[in-house]
Amino acid sequence: MGCASRTQGKPATDSSKACTAGLVAAALLVCGTLRAQPSEQDLSKLSLEDLGKIVVTSVAKSPEPLSDAPAAVYVITHDLIMRSGATSLPDMLRLAPNLEVFQTGPSDYVITARGFSGNSAAQNFPDKLLVLIDGRSVYSPIFSGMYWDSQYVPPEDIERIEVISGPGGALWGANAVNGVINIITRKSSDTQGGLLEIGTGNALSDVLLQYGGRLGENAYYRVYARDFHQRSFEDSTGADAHDGWSNPQAGFRIDWQRGADAITLQGDGHSGNIGQPDASDLRIAESDLQASWQRQLQDGANFQVRTYYDDVRRWNDISGGGFSLHTFDLEAQHDFALGDLQHVTWGIGDRVYRYDITPRIGTANSLLWNPTSDIQNLANAFVQDQVSLGRRTTVTLGLKAEHDPYSGLSLMPSIRFAWKASDTALLWAAASRAFRAPTAFDESVIEEVGSEVFLTGNPDFRREQLTSLEAGFRNHWSDRARLSVSLYYNNYDDLKSIEFSPTVLPLLWGNGMEGHTYGVEAWGSYAIADWWRLSAGVAVLRQHLRFAPGSSGLLGVAQAGDDPEHQGFLRSTMNLSDRWTFFADLREVGALPDPHVPAYVELNAKLGWQVNDKVEVSLSGFNLLHAWHQEYVFPGSDRIGRSVFLDTRLRY
Amino acid sequence: MTATFHFMNRTANRMRGVRLCLAVCLLALACVAFAQSAESDIPLEYAVKATYLYKLAPFIDWPPGAFASVDAPFPICVVGDDPFDGFLAHAVTGRTFGTHPFVVRRLDALTGDSDCRIAYIGRLHSQTIAQALAAVQGKPVLTVTDSDILADNGSIMQFVIEGGRVRFDVDNAAAARNHLSISSKLLNLAAVVKNNG
Repeated sequence: MGCASRTQGKPATDSSKACTAGLVAAALLVCGTLRAQPSEQDLSKLSLEDLGKIVVTSVAKSPEPLSDAPAAVYVITHDLIMRSGATSLPDMLRLAPNLEVFQTGPSDYVITARGFSGNSAAQNFPDKLLVLIDGRSVYSPIFSGMYWDSQYVPPEDIERIEVISGPGGALWGANAVNGVINIITRKSSDTQGGLLEIGTGNALSDVLLQYGGRLGENAYYRVYARDFHQRSFEDSTGADAHDGWSNPQAGFRIDWQRGADAITLQGDGHSGNIGQPDASDLRIAESDLQASWQRQLQDGANFQVRTYYDDVRRWNDISGGGFSLHTFDLEAQHDFALGDLQHVTWGIGDRVYRYDITPRIGTANSLLWNPTSDIQNLANAFVQDQVSLGRRTTVTLGLKAEHDPYSGLSLMPSIRFAWKASDTALLWAAASRAFRAPTAFDESVIEEVGSEVFLTGNPDFRREQLTSLEAGFRNHWSDRARLSVSLYYNNYDDLKSIEFSPTVLPLLWGNGMEGHTYGVEAWGSYAIADWWRLSAGVAVLRQHLRFAPGSSGLLGVAQAGDDPEHQGFLRSTMNLSDRWTFFADLREVGALPDPHVPAYVELNAKLGWQVNDKVEVSLSGFNLLHAWHQEYVFPGSDRIGRSVFLDTRLRY
Repeated sequence: MTATFHFMNRTANRMRGVRLCLAVCLLALACVAFAQSAESDIPLEYAVKATYLYKLAPFIDWPPGAFASVDAPFPICVVGDDPFDGFLAHAVTGRTFGTHPFVVRRLDALTGDSDCRIAYIGRLHSQTIAQALAAVQGKPVLTVTDSDILADNGSIMQFVIEGGRVRFDVDNAAAARNHLSISSKLLNLAAVVKNNG
């Protein structure tokens, strides 16, 4: 809206009056230009295929697909992403009540589910999440954590993000310990035509150009290119943190379908610079290429093969430190009905990756690796059997076997019950095992202080283990109200700790921590009117960790995570008219205990105006309540300031 | 220090102005929206679903005997709550499936005697979804459940909302039980094809 900027340089009261008058006029204008709804004649002329392309979303209906999955799944829909104004994946993930998201700088986030956010001073990182983009695993196998600065998908192209809190090991394998983030992009047939998006604000300038078209009878494509610059934040003292960044990216997707066969080819590449407070820029680059083939077989069975290649580099031109990672992955999956009562899904996969690490050698401290380069292999096979016990009850048995380069074979079983208490209510319960496999960072790192070896990786480091019990309930009433509640009790063994070697120094990574966590995640929504939906979500977490007998206890149990005991949001989604939308999201995050970070409350909002079929203008505000707030441990993280963003989207 | 304080004060003043303005914005727009929602038609989502219902007929292989005579009507039943509010009945007026004119029937529940070729099942009050489906099992009735009903309920087709669009899942085994076979074109358009039984 222009009104916010018009107040500048004028006394507030005058400008408010001027603004009010302007707005009433604008509102009347909107009133007069309402689009008529498509009539039955319009619709009757459409083919079945075209009927499936009409966007019907209204805020009162189905904000997320009705899922009968027996797990804590929150779906961030395309509609929610577009309404929220989020431009980066981490900002979209803030929309999920079952994730913890802490921003520490313009490009840097700490994201986890159900605790274990880590502690960077203790070199403990959030390493228990699996993140997939169209099935491509994007967490780093060098330390099992995420480089969130390197993953971008244009919001326009995201179909949905499934956020599963809790273990997904039996289906997804290692690292799906505390959660799975499954990002699914839209088919290129759903993103046809051109889009030019130009946005600017006090923190971010962003431009995206995309075009989607047809390739002959059976195929569609899209190509996009994006560039942006995000300005530097203030560090914990209020000084310029010199950590602004940019990361131009381009990509494509081609979908071909004929009969029962569908083939998708997609790829992206980016190359960026991230400013560093006391050093030269960090350089990041990645390119990926993926192909998948899906065939529908007789009787509802499906067969799918997917392969991808991914090339990741991070380095610093001056210090020379950095790494490269090349990944090749091949997997196949088949699902079919077995008799009348069972549905079986099984698959195999293999991932080969090579890492090359350039050590960072300094006078004060150095980060070395032995070996600095290795080719590793991660193989897996899984089977899942969904058995119907009558109309209402389903039992799902799953088992994944995975062979990782350090700890060998591991078996991750799970059993899940789902009971449809009524046509709209689902009760579920699950018991599962999951592991975080050892990485090069656990086994091969050598850290020197001066010329003294201070800490080394430990070839005897074992996988971290989780046994999880979960239960949940989902229901919806009169299609206006819905609620989902999930409870969990997680028991952890062999968590990472720091131990003394027989000669005291160097220190070693060990598996000396254990304990349990439990908590509740609940979310729901209620449509007050056809044009107005209110949503709320809350997550409550208790962590009880301890050191096993014989462990050094160094740095305390707080190194595993600095997590709030509670967080929640209240959200309002409005269709003010069929051209105006308003979105507001008030979130609260409890205090982080150790090191202490104060609790905060912040507000994001977006006002969107569909000027006509071709032009859309929106004004977003992020963290509006305070000039700045703190999300993570000081120093080492930035002040997170208020920001506004004016965005224009042109379709051609 | 003084300069910082002065700056913050100015910012605070400005923000008050912005807030006031935003509040006025919202109020004005909310009024407009409210006035307008009162006169709205059935939601577009249900208009699309209704259109699907009468456009599905040619993509189903109806068994011999599904129609009593050459000019017998093609009944589309709306079972339970009727979200279409006359839209469907109006849309099919004058339309036929071959020689069979479409008619729309409103039913509170499905029974073995219900004369339906397509039965759209929304929210039911006098029976469960399972009872409704069981009542027409083995009869040439295409059962279609709304997207508000939990998936895998045993119906032949179910509407689903995917990416803000109305699509549908198909259960081949359920179709076979009602002696219907579904054309490959329709199966290709389905979001999910299952064989759950």
